[in-house]
Amino acid sequence: MSTPADLLDDLTADLDAVFVFSPSSGFYDRFEELEGEVVVIAPENAVDAEQFVELPLAFENIRDRIRFGVEGAMDRNLVDDGDEVGCVVSVFDGDHDALVRVRADESMHSGVYDLFANSRADPGVIRDVFEVVIELGKKGQKGKPVGALFVVGDAGKVMNKSRPLSYNPFEKSHVHVGDPIVNVMLKEFSRLDGAFVISDSGKIVSAYRYLEPGAEGVDIPKGLGTRHMAGAAVTRATNATAIVLSESDGMVRAFKGGELILEIDPEDY
Amino acid sequence: MSAAPPIQVGFEIGGPLGVIPERVWLAFAVFVLAALLAWLVVRVNAGLLRRAGLPESIEGTAFERTVRGIGTSTVAIISQLSGWFILLLGAIVALSIAEPTYAEQFWSRATGFFPSLFVAVLILIVGVVVGDKIELLLSERLRSVKLPQVGIVPTVAKYSVFYVAFVLALDQIGVATFALVVLLALYALALVVFAVVAGKQLLTSAAAGLYLFLNEPYGIGDTVRIGEERGVVQEIDVFVTHIESDGEEYVVPNDRVFDEGIVIVHDD
Repeated sequence: MSTPADLLDDLTADLDAVFVFSPSSGFYDRFEELEGEVVVIAPENAVDAEQFVELPLAFENIRDRIRFGVEGAMDRNLVDDGDEVGCVVSVFDGDHDALVRVRADESMHSGVYDLFANSRADPGVIRDVFEVVIELGKKGQKGKPVGALFVVGDAGKVMNKSRPLSYNPFEKSHVHVGDPIVNVMLKEFSRLDGAFVISDSGKIVSAYRYLEPGAEGVDIPKGLGTRHMAGAAVTRATNATAIVLSESDGMVRAFKGGELILEIDPEDY
Repeated sequence: MSAAPPIQVGFEIGGPLGVIPERVWLAFAVFVLAALLAWLVVRVNAGLLRRAGLPESIEGTAFERTVRGIGTSTVAIISQLSGWFILLLGAIVALSIAEPTYAEQFWSRATGFFPSLFVAVLILIVGVVVGDKIELLLSERLRSVKLPQVGIVPTVAKYSVFYVAFVLALDQIGVATFALVVLLALYALALVVFAVVAGKQLLTSAAAGLYLFLNEPYGIGDTVRIGEERGVVQEIDVFVTHIESDGEEYVVPNDRVFDEGIVIVHDD
């Protein structure tokens, strides 16, 4: 007679580290006794854990969430290449209900952690742009789906690799993403054609930009339109990050170095 | 006490109550009125303070936590203070009506003293709360600065505010505070001198940055030359301008823009 715990024993055998995603303090206390590494991955370090990776977005997709945690922990040398990691996550709303065993190595590497932590722009700025884009994707403009293209970071170079389509509404303004007014403002401006350019510190430099980087060697999934191509190409020519809201399928995609790094559905947030 | 019939006040007070002189009744009425007024003022004050968002803005200060610990709140204390003040005043007036000779002397001294005492206590409470709040805000701001010694800054700011409040309160009730004021002035002077000497560069940069913010002679993406550095403007903030060329990013203080002027390069 064997119990489920016996059968699933090999899931928890020989773990080098345990990652706990967004634990409550009571839940985290249970893990403190554990020998070996315990890493908390959460939007904020509410439990004062020694080892902590900040989660900038509450990734609805479990794979993205775990990838982000593993990459973040590897980047900070909390785990080594090849370590076996047990991730305690909550798949459905509420309590922790799943244990996922992964091996932390290069094949896990999708760049989703680098997208936030090691981009030219401040991590907070990238997160703010994501929030704005997700909001835009959810609500659209007057109920109709809209598309938008935000190029974040390395603004000087981006400006030199683009030209204005019309007068820049943000000229001589000092608006930063994350300012409360910005959501409304960008929603109105999103009907304009062209890209938004945002500086490293989050200042909205320009709207209405026509990006003209060379598109050689940009490899993005077939079927994505010109907006995605322009976004991907500009991240290859500069150190910027592009965050694109697709008008046709409503997905938010992030590009860096000419590659698609992250794809999320705004409806999940 | 004579057994003279009570004075006519429109109605007859008979029985054992009749022996109490009328002026005592009046005094009693004044006192009751004062109590009523005090209660009303307490209620109105508490409402006003709450409306003004005081509880939220002082949440988490040490003073608020202490008074919460003894089962009250800052709002309650401040509003009750005004209530007690009115009640006390009412009591004095009532006493002076009931026993004119005794209260007359007391009156002249006390009426001068009580308002100042009231203001002094109020200043102390406000000072303590503001000091606590400033400490809280500063330590919140400085939390990202990972330097253990930085913890002294909020504490110094807190005690500075305490000290000012303390001196003001003492001054209110007429204690000689000249030496303390001199000390305060010296301290403030030292602070100003220190800030000016240490922050001169920052201040001039900020002034120049303000001009750059308002007029924007060059923007992000322009190619400029400031002194020897030439490159593409990546970022302008109040204190510095970031200029990048060939993967090297110069961080130029804004006062240099005014010192040496800038060259805006229009075509390469």
